[in-house]
Amino acid sequence: MAISPFVEIDATQKLDPFKGVKKIPLEEYFTSGHRTCQGCESALVMKMMVKAAGPRTIVLGSTGCMYVANTTYYSTSWVVPWMHTQLGSSGSAGLGAAAALKAQMRKGKMKKEPINVIAFCGDGGGADMGLGAISASLTHPDYNFLILLYDNESYANTDIQLSGSTPYGAHTTFSPPGKMKRIMHHRWKKNTAGMLAAGHPECKYVSTICMSYGLLGMNCIRKALAIGGPTFVHSLDPCPKGWDYDPYISHELGELAVTTGIWPLYEVENHTLRLLGKTREIADKRYVRQPVRDYLMKQGRFAHFTKDDIDYFQSKVDEMWQKWLIPGVIPMMKDLEGDAPPAE
Amino acid sequence: MRQLCKGNVAVIKGAILAGCRAYYGYPITPASEIAESAALMLPQVGGTFLQAESEVAAINMVYGASAAGVRVMSGSSGPGLSLMQEGISYLAGAELPCVIVDVMRGGPGLGNIAPEQGDYFAMVKGGGHGNYRNIVVAPASVQEMAELTMLAFELADKYRNPAVVLCDGFVAQMVEAVELEDREAVAPDKPWAVKGTAATRKNLITSIYLESDELEAHQRHMEAKYARAQREEPRHELYQARDADVLLVGYGIVSRVLRSAVEKARQEGLRAGLFRPITLWPFPEKALVAAAARAKKVLVVELSNGQMLEDVRLALDGRVTVEFYSRVGGNVPTTEEVHARFATRAQAAA
Repeated sequence: MAISPFVEIDATQKLDPFKGVKKIPLEEYFTSGHRTCQGCESALVMKMMVKAAGPRTIVLGSTGCMYVANTTYYSTSWVVPWMHTQLGSSGSAGLGAAAALKAQMRKGKMKKEPINVIAFCGDGGGADMGLGAISASLTHPDYNFLILLYDNESYANTDIQLSGSTPYGAHTTFSPPGKMKRIMHHRWKKNTAGMLAAGHPECKYVSTICMSYGLLGMNCIRKALAIGGPTFVHSLDPCPKGWDYDPYISHELGELAVTTGIWPLYEVENHTLRLLGKTREIADKRYVRQPVRDYLMKQGRFAHFTKDDIDYFQSKVDEMWQKWLIPGVIPMMKDLEGDAPPAE
Repeated sequence: MRQLCKGNVAVIKGAILAGCRAYYGYPITPASEIAESAALMLPQVGGTFLQAESEVAAINMVYGASAAGVRVMSGSSGPGLSLMQEGISYLAGAELPCVIVDVMRGGPGLGNIAPEQGDYFAMVKGGGHGNYRNIVVAPASVQEMAELTMLAFELADKYRNPAVVLCDGFVAQMVEAVELEDREAVAPDKPWAVKGTAATRKNLITSIYLESDELEAHQRHMEAKYARAQREEPRHELYQARDADVLLVGYGIVSRVLRSAVEKARQEGLRAGLFRPITLWPFPEKALVAAAARAKKVLVVELSNGQMLEDVRLALDGRVTVEFYSRVGGNVPTTEEVHARFATRAQAAA
C-alpha cells in the first residue's frame, strides 16, 4: 500500500532474519534475576524478544506477570532500558516514547540513530483493557514501535481470572465449573491479531507467534521492528499455573496449540497474508491437524470437560479451518449462494 | 449463622443479604476475592456477575444496572478506583445509587499490594470532577465488611448516591468469625429507574444541565441531600474514651492496633481512649469534639501521610493539641510503636 507523502518515517535498524538457530547471538539482554514460575513461556518470550531486537532497544511493559516478576524487590532481569506503564496503556506509552525519541533526534538533542521501541502487554492489558490504546497507536504511521502481546490466556498476575483471551470453557477463578453449570465461560476467545490486522490500514506488520517455534517467533519480531511504523505481534504462551499442567510440558503444549490448529501462526506483512510454519503445512494439507483433545486434556483447566465439550471445541476449530473466509484469521463466512454476481 | 470468613468474601455475603443482584468487576490484588466470590455466589441466588474489560467499563456497567433500578456493586483497589472516578462522578451527578468497595493498597502508581489508607482523599473528598460527595463507610473487622456493605446499600438508596466501603488490604484479607443473620433486606421501590415499562417511560437519567441556573438548582438539591446526610448519618465508635487524657483516632485496621494501645496504656494507669470514625463521610465531627472535650491530646494514626488528619483538625478547630503518627508503604504500626508515641511523653508530663 502506498504511504502518504506527508508521513515521515525514520530509518529502522537492519534486522535480517536469523538463518538458523546457530546464527542467533549468544548475548542475553533478559537474564537472571526474575521470579517467574518454572516452565513460564512468557519469560522465554521476553528473553527471545529482546534477543531478537538487540541491545539498542527500549522495552516498555504494562502491568502484568512480566512486569511484576521481572522488576520488583530491587532487582531486574532486563539489561536494556526498561520502563513500566499502566495496565491498559502499552499502546499509548509505546507511541509516546517513540514520538519523543523522534522529536529529540529531530531537534538534535539526541544522536540520530534507529532505536527499537517495544511495548509489551499481557492479554488482560492488551486484548481487554488496552485494546483501544493499541488500536489508536496503530493508526500513527510516523513512529517506529512494536507492541507485543504475550497471551497466557488469563489475568495470571492476580491469580488466574478470566480475560477476553481465555479459551472456551477454561476453569479460572471467575469461571469455576460446578455441579449446576459445568461451563461457566462460554465465550470464544477474542481474535485479537486478526482484528488488529484487518482494522488498521497504516499498520505494516501483524503476526501471531508461539515461542515453541522460537526461530520463527524471533524472526517475526525482527521483521516487525525493521519494517517501520507501528506493528503488532501476538504470542501464545503456555502458563503452568493458569493452565494447570506440569511445567515440563510447556513447550509441548505450545506446539500442540499450533498442530491442533487452535493457534494459527501467520503474518500480515504490508497487507499480504502468509501462513507460517506448521499452520502453513496444515493449510497446504501436508500436515493433518491433531485432535484438540490432545491439547485440552493435558491441562487441568479443561479437566471438567466431557466428551460433548471436547466435541464442541473440536467443531469450533473445524469451523475455523473449513468455513472461515481466511482460515484462522478472518472469522467471516462466505455466503456462497449469495455471492453470485448480480444479474445484468 | 456463625462462620469463618475472609474480609473480601464477607463483602459479597453482606451484599447478597442486602439484596444486591449484580456485580461488575475487574481483577486486582488485594480485592480480587470480592469479584471471585461474586462470580461464585451471585449466580446461586439468581444474580449476575459480569467481568468488565477494565474498571472504566465496570463502573459504567454499574451505572447501567443502577439506572435500571437494581442493587449493584463493584469492587477494586486504588489503581482501579482511579480509573472509575469519572464514572463515580457521573453516578453522583445522575443521582444513581451503587456500592463500590475500595480495598486500599500501597501507592501511588502501582505501589504494592500491601495495606495502606492512601485513598482517603480520593474517596472521602471525592476523586472525580465536580461538586459531589461519596458516602464512605470504613470497616475494621470482617464482621463489619459484611455489615457496612449492607449499610452502604441502604445509604446509597436513601440518598441516591454512590456509597464507598473503604477498607485497607489488611481487613480485606484477614479471616475472622462472622455472624450473619439469615434475613435478606428488601430493596426499596425505585420509581425513578428506567426499566422500559409503561410506568417508567417518562423517566430520564442524566447529569447534563447546560443552562447555568438549571445546573445550580441541581447542585443545590444535591447539597441539601448532603446536608441531611451530615446531620443523620455520621457513625463512630468509642472505646474507653469518656475519661481519656489521650484520645487516639484511627479507622480500619489501625483502630484495632489503637484499641490494644489503649489497653496497654490503661494497664499502666494512663487514661487513653479510642475514637473510631465508622463513616468517613459524613465525618463524625460533633462526636469527635465531644469525645475530645476533656482530652489533653489527640493522636491521629493512619496508614497514609496525614489525610484523615485534616478532617480531625477541621473538626477540633484548635481546641486541643493534635499529633500525628503514620506508617505507609504497607507497614502497619505495632501496639508498642503507637504506645511509645504517646505514653512516655504523657507520663513525663504527669
